[in-house]
Amino acid sequence: MKYVSQIVAYALFAVVVGLFSIWPRYALLDPQKAIVSLAFSHAGERIGECRRLTQEELNELPPNMRKPDDCPRRRHPLFVQLKIDQQLLYESLLQPSGLWQDGKSNVYQRIRVDAGEHNLFVGMRDSDRQAGFDYTQEIDLVISPGQNLLVGFDATSRRFKIQ
Amino acid sequence: MNHLGALTIFFCWIVLISGIWLLIFFRTSVSGAFESVEYLSREQWYLGGIMRSLHRYASDAAILVLLLHLLKEFSFDNYRQNRWFSWITGLPLVWIIFPLGITGYWLVWDELAQYVAITSAELLDRVPIFTAPMAGNFLSDAALSDRFFTLMAFMHLIGLPIFLVFGIWLHVFRLSGPRINPPRALMSGTLLSLLFLSLVFPAQSQNKANLALAPQDLQLDWFYLHAYPLVQAWCPGWVWLLLVSVSGLIVLAPWLPPARKALPASVDLDNCNGCQRCADDCPFGAIQMVPRSDGKSYAREASVNADLCVSCGICVGACPTATPFRKRSGLVPGIDLPALPVAQLRKQIMRLDPRDDGIVAIACSGRAAAAKLRKAGEVVVEVQCIGQVPPAFFDFMLSRNIARGVFLGGCGEGGCRYRYGTDWTEQRISRRRDPQLRERVDRRRILKSWCDLQQNQSNMLRQLAEFRAAVGRTGADDT
Repeated sequence: MKYVSQIVAYALFAVVVGLFSIWPRYALLDPQKAIVSLAFSHAGERIGECRRLTQEELNELPPNMRKPDDCPRRRHPLFVQLKIDQQLLYESLLQPSGLWQDGKSNVYQRIRVDAGEHNLFVGMRDSDRQAGFDYTQEIDLVISPGQNLLVGFDATSRRFKIQ
Repeated sequence: MNHLGALTIFFCWIVLISGIWLLIFFRTSVSGAFESVEYLSREQWYLGGIMRSLHRYASDAAILVLLLHLLKEFSFDNYRQNRWFSWITGLPLVWIIFPLGITGYWLVWDELAQYVAITSAELLDRVPIFTAPMAGNFLSDAALSDRFFTLMAFMHLIGLPIFLVFGIWLHVFRLSGPRINPPRALMSGTLLSLLFLSLVFPAQSQNKANLALAPQDLQLDWFYLHAYPLVQAWCPGWVWLLLVSVSGLIVLAPWLPPARKALPASVDLDNCNGCQRCADDCPFGAIQMVPRSDGKSYAREASVNADLCVSCGICVGACPTATPFRKRSGLVPGIDLPALPVAQLRKQIMRLDPRDDGIVAIACSGRAAAAKLRKAGEVVVEVQCIGQVPPAFFDFMLSRNIARGVFLGGCGEGGCRYRYGTDWTEQRISRRRDPQLRERVDRRRILKSWCDLQQNQSNMLRQLAEFRAAVGRTGADDT
């Protein structure tokens, strides 16, 4: 009887370990849904204009710090908006990173959408303008079920990238 | 239930040994990781596959017993007083073991790994230490670098295990003689059951990770990843708040009410001859032998560290001067427990009014055994720990005809609340440890019944009934 109860106890132990290592299944995403990942890092424009230093000013600086321009460190926050089929899915004002607010602003959002044909609009403002966008992209596309559609921003070409 | 901590360490050994085998074949790159694990699981299923399954299931078992260990120590109130240190140092182990397992899932680089990587990154991004979102590394296959993958492998294979070993040492180093190995039968049984599980349900990868697609339906390992769905259901900030709050409560628990702190053992130098038995027997290293301070000819004296003393009284049970046969008006041993001094224990025993059969039970308080015996109408002397009773008391009770039989009710093997109370009592009675029970004492008149809360205590009452009958027969034989 003692051995039987031990076998039962060990079997129960194995069942509990085996069972909860895979069960119950976790439905992360509805089969008819997809993900739109809006993610990029971009530095907004500087708060003020750069000023060209005079030769006299440059001479007063240590040799290793003689940069021709004196630029303010702080940058504008980014204003980012994402719409699908005219419906606003994301809108945020993103502050620059860093203690001096001189770094890039970061956006990372994963948004669940229905799969199918959609009109996607993304816009970003990185300057001191009060309304509108400095960069926009609007596209009609088909999003497949389970697709992870990436919406990024290419700092080199200064254009949105949708893939 | 009494070896949960040691079992956790045993499972870590299985994880280590199986992990070394996996490491031989594992390729730490984005492109190579999945294929190398698949090779182990499919081509080399007879060894690599079993090792992989053992690696996974032993990791899961480690979490299971770790959480049970935590719950047990909490429910048995084993986290207050000087145990606060072991309690608190257990928490970093939890915070190490979870990332250790999670980074392991990451390395397989299947759909589950993809989910784990993205969700972990989203969680970490809530901690303001990264200038750019870490989750941005998992946007597309092109964005993912081998170097990042190598970093994860380093954390899983070297970084976290080093912290784990150090953490285990810290967790037990204030305990004297910590049990870090479970009994062999338990090791064999659990290993065989994990092997059986590995053969019947070998661990398999899910589909290969593809960052262009979002995983939809996952076989989640709930032992490690139970908090991850909350990241999707709530948001990373709330999950952090929950984790930090629970951890904070665990840290504060030893000082939260109801706090109970009995007076520590006290040394009486007039009766202490510096024999060191109390220091040897103290399960918590609370007694040090220090140079004599009262000018007597003995070299040393016992000194109690009140911060470490849990007032179990095991030191009193070890003291050779704590004998009820002493012909002194006041029975004051070299070391005593203020809550139940030896003199009071003797008085209590001498006032006993046993039943006709003359059976007296001595049982640990704080366990259900004493209450159950009392409820069954037995004459019970409650002590803090059975190891608190010097063996001379058993001799005293039997030779002075206070009792015809002494029934000792204590905690089960490895389950002593004060770690060694039952062990030392066993050894003192069987004359393997000082102070030894005199040879003249008829051992048939003493029954040791060690059982746990979780064990069937009706077994204890059955033992007592058999003991009563046996003592009755012994008495008849003697006459």
